[in-house]
Amino acid sequence: MDYAIEAEGLVKRYGDKAALDGVDLGARAGTVLGVLGPNGAGKTTAVRILATLQRPDAGRARVHGHDVAERPAEVRKLIGLTGQYASVDEKLTGVQNLMMMGRLLGMNRSSARARATELLERFGLTEAGGRAASGYSGGMRRRLDLAVSLVSRPSVLFLDEPTTGLDPHARSELWEVVRELVADEVTVLLTTQYLEEADQLADDILLIDSGRVAASGTPDQLKAMAGGHRLDIRPLRAEDEEKAMAILGSGELSIPIHDLAMAPAVLRKLDEAGIVLAEHALRLPSLDDVFLTLTGARA
Amino acid sequence: MISQSLTLTWRSLVPLKNSPGQLLAMLIQPVFMIVIFVYLFGGAAGGDRAEAVQYMLPGVLVQVALMATIGTGMNLATDIGNGVFDRFRTMPIARMAPLAGRILADLCTMTVTLAMAVLVGYLVGFRVTTSPLEALAGLGLVLLFTMALSWASAWIGVIAKSVTAMQGISTAVLLPLTFGSSAFIPATDLPGWLTAWMSVNPVSHLAAALRGFTVGGLDAADVWITLGWTAALLAVFVPLALRAYNRRVR
Repeated sequence: MDYAIEAEGLVKRYGDKAALDGVDLGARAGTVLGVLGPNGAGKTTAVRILATLQRPDAGRARVHGHDVAERPAEVRKLIGLTGQYASVDEKLTGVQNLMMMGRLLGMNRSSARARATELLERFGLTEAGGRAASGYSGGMRRRLDLAVSLVSRPSVLFLDEPTTGLDPHARSELWEVVRELVADEVTVLLTTQYLEEADQLADDILLIDSGRVAASGTPDQLKAMAGGHRLDIRPLRAEDEEKAMAILGSGELSIPIHDLAMAPAVLRKLDEAGIVLAEHALRLPSLDDVFLTLTGARA
Repeated sequence: MISQSLTLTWRSLVPLKNSPGQLLAMLIQPVFMIVIFVYLFGGAAGGDRAEAVQYMLPGVLVQVALMATIGTGMNLATDIGNGVFDRFRTMPIARMAPLAGRILADLCTMTVTLAMAVLVGYLVGFRVTTSPLEALAGLGLVLLFTMALSWASAWIGVIAKSVTAMQGISTAVLLPLTFGSSAFIPATDLPGWLTAWMSVNPVSHLAAALRGFTVGGLDAADVWITLGWTAALLAVFVPLALRAYNRRVR
């Protein structure tokens, strides 16, 4: 398989605390790798090492075959980074931010302007392009940030918690952009605390916790790791809830189903007890369940 | 590398165009400095005011220029704090460009500020008694020394934990350098230790050189000592600032 990003045994220590404690990862070219984990899990440290901002204390990482610590200059020609804290220049306008990047990358004035216009249009910022970025909303700022990191047409893009702090509307807009990028063959490494985001966007997920890989695989593989199906019920009358829990033999209105024949049997028992159900559902576990099972932490 | 530095110089100057208020604040500062020093302190010294202006104005120009170097480090600390430099560091550009761009931009604004200060100086009675060329040479020397000191400020800005820390450290360094010099008062009738400090303080020599270039009585030694300090500051702080910038971990 062709990996655009690969890393083996990454270790990074701050004092005696290990932010990364032996992380392996691989992102297939043209796919999204979701790096999922709670705050302080080491996601940002991993991105900073892969984006040549920090050197690992141990381990190796390569972007399209170039070692990030040995050949950072080669790596920098291929990557784009959008940080957790939107790193646009607030005092410049949208156009100026984009043109500055183009000029830094060696474009002449007119091609830098053309690229800026094109990106503003693509990110729905044409109208705001002449205003200073300090007046942008959170979502606009993130979009500009992403646009700025695309000026160089990177083939590998690092998105460090791109939607943290955004409202649902702005978040889904950003997701749409990421999907378009992948359609353009860009490889994306996305860190997120949001399970839904990883589920929506990632082809592969790496679950990290306390600097170690807790699990990895496709979203479906991870969901399967959390166990089999679950049956969720909701009685129509709230006063039936305790009786229902007693029948389920569970402290919540949900039980694991190990044998699919078990579900109808449970529903029959509830029916016999005179409990009317407003809802019942047999489902595969969500990534939330995986997250809780594997990290014991709240997302 | 040069075109990248110039692009980043442009980046630092554009905000001044976007927000004229900032530019105005920057230009007004030397006006206050001149009024305070010439009328308040110059008057208190009891001497002739016209004479005081001739002695003090070069000192005030040096003071304004040196205090402005704090801005270089503060701007860098701000850029690093909000992640703008992280992006530059992931780009295929010269490592020196972001620092050099900032310092060049500050030098541009400094030139405008100094011109403004000279203009205000003229309004309060300061007169160049040498030639315009010599006066320009004096201002050039000030800009050169300021540029070298900006690299020290840049280094502190890169290693400082916060913008506030940067400001505190720089002020603590600059106050004894500027006020503990013969920029404002001649080193006579002062305690011996203070006179000793003033005579080694590079700011005394810079102020004396500018005074010589503008109102006469130039001692070439002051120029050479200032150039020596300029070279020394550059030799020490350019590598330090670049190394700190390359290693900087937010």
